[in-house]
Amino acid sequence: MLNPLPQESWSRRNATHLLQRAGYGGSPEEQEAFYQLGKEQGIEVAVDSLLETSEDWSSLPWPDWMQSEVDPNGETFGNQGVRRREYVRWYFKLLLRSQPLASKLLKFFIDHFAVDSQTIGQYYRWIGMFRYTETLRRHAAGDLAGEDIPFEGDERLVAPGHYGNFKTLVNHVSWSVGMIRTLDLYRSNRGNVNENFGRELLELFAMGIGGEYSDDPEYSEEDVAVAADAFTGRKVYGFRYFPDENRYNNPAGDQNPPLPPASVWQNRGSQDRNTKGPFYGYETTPEGNPIIDGDDIIDVIFDTDRCAKHLSWKLWRYFASPKPSKELVAALASKLRDDHGYEIRPFLRDLFLSEEFYDESVVNAQIKDAGDYFVCLANQLGVTLPTRDAMEDVMQQLGYEVHLPPSIAGWPEPEGPGNTWLATGAMVFRMNMPSVFTHHNYEVFTTGRTRGSMDDFPDVDWNVIAPKELRRIEKFPLLLENLRQRFIPNRELRKSQVRTLLDRYSSVSDELGELEGVRELARLILALPEYQTH
Amino acid sequence: MNTKLNRRDFVSKSIWGATASVTLPGFIQQTLFNLDARAQSLPSQGGDGPIILLMEMAGGNDTLNTLIPYTNSIYRGARPEIRLGTEHNILQITDQDGPSVTGENEPLALHPNLTRFKEMWDDGELGIINGVGYPNPNLSHFKSFDYWHSAEPNGMPKDGWIGRYLDNQCDGCGATTGIYINRRPTFAFKSNAATSPSVTFQNPQFFNWRDKQILGREKSLEGLYRNLIGLDHETDDGVSEENDTLAYVQRSAHSAMISTESVQLAMERGGNLINPDWPSNGLANSLKVIAQLIKGRSDTSVYYARQGGYDTHNNQVLEDGPLSGRHFDLLQTLNGALGAFVDEMKAQGNWDRVVILTFSEFGRKVIQNGSYGTDHGAAETLFLMGGQVAGNQYYGLYPDLAEDARVSRNSMQYNVDFRTVYRSVLEKWMGVPPSAMSAIFPSPPRDFQPLDIIR
Repeated sequence: MLNPLPQESWSRRNATHLLQRAGYGGSPEEQEAFYQLGKEQGIEVAVDSLLETSEDWSSLPWPDWMQSEVDPNGETFGNQGVRRREYVRWYFKLLLRSQPLASKLLKFFIDHFAVDSQTIGQYYRWIGMFRYTETLRRHAAGDLAGEDIPFEGDERLVAPGHYGNFKTLVNHVSWSVGMIRTLDLYRSNRGNVNENFGRELLELFAMGIGGEYSDDPEYSEEDVAVAADAFTGRKVYGFRYFPDENRYNNPAGDQNPPLPPASVWQNRGSQDRNTKGPFYGYETTPEGNPIIDGDDIIDVIFDTDRCAKHLSWKLWRYFASPKPSKELVAALASKLRDDHGYEIRPFLRDLFLSEEFYDESVVNAQIKDAGDYFVCLANQLGVTLPTRDAMEDVMQQLGYEVHLPPSIAGWPEPEGPGNTWLATGAMVFRMNMPSVFTHHNYEVFTTGRTRGSMDDFPDVDWNVIAPKELRRIEKFPLLLENLRQRFIPNRELRKSQVRTLLDRYSSVSDELGELEGVRELARLILALPEYQTH
Repeated sequence: MNTKLNRRDFVSKSIWGATASVTLPGFIQQTLFNLDARAQSLPSQGGDGPIILLMEMAGGNDTLNTLIPYTNSIYRGARPEIRLGTEHNILQITDQDGPSVTGENEPLALHPNLTRFKEMWDDGELGIINGVGYPNPNLSHFKSFDYWHSAEPNGMPKDGWIGRYLDNQCDGCGATTGIYINRRPTFAFKSNAATSPSVTFQNPQFFNWRDKQILGREKSLEGLYRNLIGLDHETDDGVSEENDTLAYVQRSAHSAMISTESVQLAMERGGNLINPDWPSNGLANSLKVIAQLIKGRSDTSVYYARQGGYDTHNNQVLEDGPLSGRHFDLLQTLNGALGAFVDEMKAQGNWDRVVILTFSEFGRKVIQNGSYGTDHGAAETLFLMGGQVAGNQYYGLYPDLAEDARVSRNSMQYNVDFRTVYRSVLEKWMGVPPSAMSAIFPSPPRDFQPLDIIR
């Protein structure tokens, strides 16, 4: 299993498929160039070109108010709404402008390690959300050449800033303000334990439950209790401390440089320092050390088959298809843990090179999640982000409020057990929304304020989408093929659809001119069920 | 135009099912075009039958602090900071104590915020089902909700109990037989027959085709969509036979297309609500939409609403006492929203048509945790409300807290299987014959006798 795709199997279909899954697709020209790259220089070169990291961290700064040293979280409740919308817009800016694979991974992490801004609470809300998203973003970008950025919290407590490794990521998450507040870790103390984080670490972040992809034994309620005991005593500094007050004595007794506001630290007094075990059958960590704190628990977890399979399964579902076989999951797990030590990009390289990734059952088998849907739409039309008010509205209607996940398990996965992005209402919205971009039809927004905020929104550059020379009615087949290649590559239109589109194009063009015809055509294609999949 | 689809066509002919092409001769395989045309020729009736409102309390409601065993020494001992007692104006149920597993009756009281629940109890419109759960309780939110939604605990569920109910019992139903007011769907509605005659939307105003008014194209837009997704083609129903994912989305588009108009029609017919006093919160907004649809005679028998936030690991109560905190606020919202809904139903004359069933994915542990909260537990208390409910009555037994503290890690043991509650609602209220139960509940509990919940 997981043999590399033979060079002779490289095709435009496969090139387009890979572009869509490792990123958000590309323009017809980009698709062709990518295909040629793989054809001339080999599939590995094409895949590697998607894995290269070239993040420009300076281009996506936090809003000014977030950089304030005094109180980045807002003095009043009144400005919370604005800050919330600015966060949403910043997040989508990251998705749109980051290197595509980094953007995809960030979106995966945001779902896999969902935190809830409301639970984080007013005092830590935005510093929690921005820092957390930034941590996930760095892991999504991979290990940056020449840069080793320190972790946000107390570095001495966290493995050195090595980004792009799933195990390190879980460790960083367990030390982040966002997660510590979301899952109550800051209130879990020796002898007075709150199991929330321990349980979800096992169930959601690392080991999973159920027998869908793994026959390995499940962890027990006792294991949940052991994990909860191990993660006690993690605290968050208030952000209103002045630097001098942030000094504290480390266990060795010396004074430390001040921690940034809202840093996480370990309160030894409220930590359970007892040796624990067995945990999931382990008496010690894989290295033979006693199991004492949360880091030890993570060491054990990442040694298990269950963890390797759970994470492989989730990554396959996200990048490839909803129902991988147990055999495939086992093969992926061995790559992830044994070959790559949980390094994410090398694992994804194997995944993108594998024959299985290009199987009939994988190509076109995904429903775009709300993030995919929005980013693809914006990229394909070459538009900028709508206003912050509009972004919030769009995301609400799509069911993807990034700061407010429906549960700690994140957003329902496309074609998961009974859950799907496509609530009937969201489907209706997806059919209506493209006209925001094609017709400046702001009627789709729920509030008048949002509609008004869009007044100056720039128009799509229709000369790129539909060159003038293609707009004459006798060129219609060429025009339509052009739009198909841009919006729904790897899909064919049915004859009846082509007829309907032609009729409509010709009548609108006659009545209102060719440009209006093009807008109408684009909007209708973007409303098709075919557009919702890739 | 009536946009009802015939449920029998959905199911028996498997028109929307994946297996249609291999199991049916070509001439029976109607196209969606025919189905839709037929649906449009059916008379528009508007619903007047019995209604279930499923009220999901997501996160794991702490029912020990909802229906409080206020004299129980184990309860008091396990919750020194977060317990409620007579000093907190709890609403004591004085007319009868709750039968308990111990054999001794348990004096019980409702949370001080559940004033409307207490009124309904006193009026004989609210029944209390204690000790509800299932064998081998799973303490994961997501697994346990899968079990509650599917009614197949400890399995790998593939569809929802309402989905199966509609598949099995809903001949000739319209596309909006089940309505969930939410942004994301519920597993409970998931049907095995590729699609369920149920819809999920948040805001009815935007559950419609929206175009720029000035171009005057709204109507034509809907027509174009119908055409493009295959609803208007005699020979090309537009549902892919090669690609399951695409077929799924195409069916979603069909469902959207044929349900928007039903919803708009019912909302328009419903018009203004009669009760002027609704609280302003998300749950109340959902229930307002439902009330308006009922008033507008929407052809809907199952409504579904959700209130999240019950995962009270911390700050369930605040340090200054149990008359504050998250659980206090949640129950206040629930009481206010449901109370307004009940008033509206009474004013509409529809209260006798409605049965409300509250449920959560699990209860919480008996013992409090370290942060003024409680961790995930097992059995819980359910509430049934309605004009026809056999109220002022306990069903099930209050758990034995002493026993449970020892045997199940401080979670309560169930003595009524939740599938029995579901069955009771379907059989006693919706009139589903007992013979259909094996299809709706493929894995029934050992003791599966329906409760006499209806007068």
